[in-house]
Amino acid sequence: MSEENKEPVIRIRGLCKSFGENHVLREFDLDLYRGENVMVLGKSGSGKSVLIKCIVRLLTTDAGRIDVLGQNVADLDQDALDRLRVKIGFLFQSSALYDSMTVQENLEFPLRRHWMATTKGDTDALVDEVLTAVGLAHTRNMYPSELSGGMRRRIGLARTLILKPEIMLYDEPTTGLDPITGKEIVELILQLQRTYNTSSIIISHDLNVAKLAADRIAVLYDGRNHLEGTYQQLLASEDPLVKQFFIFM
Amino acid sequence: MATRNGIRDTLNEVGSIAHFTGRFFRNAFYPRFEWNELLRQATENGYRSLPLVAVTAFIMGLVLTVQSRPTLARFGAESMLPAMVAISVVREIAPVITALICAGKIGSSLGAELGSMKVTEQIDAMEVSGTNPFRYLVVTRVWSTTLMLPVLVVLSEGIAIWACWIGVNIKDVVSWDLFYRQVFESLEFSDFIPSFIKSYFFGFAIGIIGCYKGFHTEKGTEGVGISAHSSVVVASLIIFILDLVAVQITDIMGIN
Repeated sequence: MSEENKEPVIRIRGLCKSFGENHVLREFDLDLYRGENVMVLGKSGSGKSVLIKCIVRLLTTDAGRIDVLGQNVADLDQDALDRLRVKIGFLFQSSALYDSMTVQENLEFPLRRHWMATTKGDTDALVDEVLTAVGLAHTRNMYPSELSGGMRRRIGLARTLILKPEIMLYDEPTTGLDPITGKEIVELILQLQRTYNTSSIIISHDLNVAKLAADRIAVLYDGRNHLEGTYQQLLASEDPLVKQFFIFM
Repeated sequence: MATRNGIRDTLNEVGSIAHFTGRFFRNAFYPRFEWNELLRQATENGYRSLPLVAVTAFIMGLVLTVQSRPTLARFGAESMLPAMVAISVVREIAPVITALICAGKIGSSLGAELGSMKVTEQIDAMEVSGTNPFRYLVVTRVWSTTLMLPVLVVLSEGIAIWACWIGVNIKDVVSWDLFYRQVFESLEFSDFIPSFIKSYFFGFAIGIIGCYKGFHTEKGTEGVGISAHSSVVVASLIIFILDLVAVQITDIMGIN
């Protein structure tokens, strides 16, 4: 099926975001289609994280439009926004686990907020399911401070998956991890995408993630979507900006 | 120029705290109420502050008694000691000292806890999971300090008066019954009410400032330290200002 015939789950048009005189995003455009993994590649400080924070309205935009699952994010009232956010999983770079809670409590927290499990049995079953999916069933009673960086990333992933999101946003999923753990995380992302049928935007500057996980890569440069293509297309590109990213490949 | 910037920053801060307080009132009286978190915070901020408040109150009552005795003895008014200490403790010393102790303990912990949640993106994570972090984190904590501080103040007053009885008995022999009668004959209902009411405001100030500072933490871990420290400083300052206002109000109303 061609992209023209598909309805994007996320459509971004003319997105602008500035912090004072620092114009981070200028007229940025991007589409994410169902079942697809799109990676946004850019240098540190180029506005990649700002982009996905705008998608979930953690940051408000200056101009432009973001439609998620057919709804203009800027137009939603708080209740509607909260309902939409439940359909979007967000994996933070720092994992952002609640450090005063155990792993079990971290996973139960979103369920309790949204009444998605009414009995202890239902809650335990859902917690078991996602912990098994990320391969950390034994960590249920541990605190985040007792986990390694890779384990925290996996539990962060489990916490977002427990609400069965349709869209996943990954903010630098492999940053700060060793190459082996990073590869495991990428493989886990792909496996979970197949299991839960999610569509994903992956923010990273790690070309190994691009190679393994991205169906399509958008190069963010100077606040704009400079170029899009598959990994192989970008690798073969003669564009000097794109070639900079592949300098070590 | 530096002075002008300082004044502008202070006014910005005051405006920002007023806006934050307005946001609290917009969220505080509407569902969804976070009862479990409120109970947990009440335990944390009230029950767990009790040992510190109790020890401070005991020392305060004892020291005040021992230090006041020589002055009263000079005028042959030693028998006034229980009444004098009780009135001082109930009207002024216990509410203010307890509030300052709590500003140090609870205010710094709120600033540091919410500050570290902010810099590690835990508050953002809560928000993107469809939870209102303001209602869950701020409203519960401010309610807990507002409701628990008067309880701590009443307990502190009781302990300080008991310590006064011990202080009196260091040099004299006074039975508890006699001491108790002397204390309550000197105290009136109008001594308790202003002290009780102002302790609600002290508790509210501690909660709102601690949460405000934590919620607006910047600059990573350095910012967490700044938030914890400034929570204590600003809350303490506001406690003194509120106390000053309360004294003026009670004076105007003729309660003094």
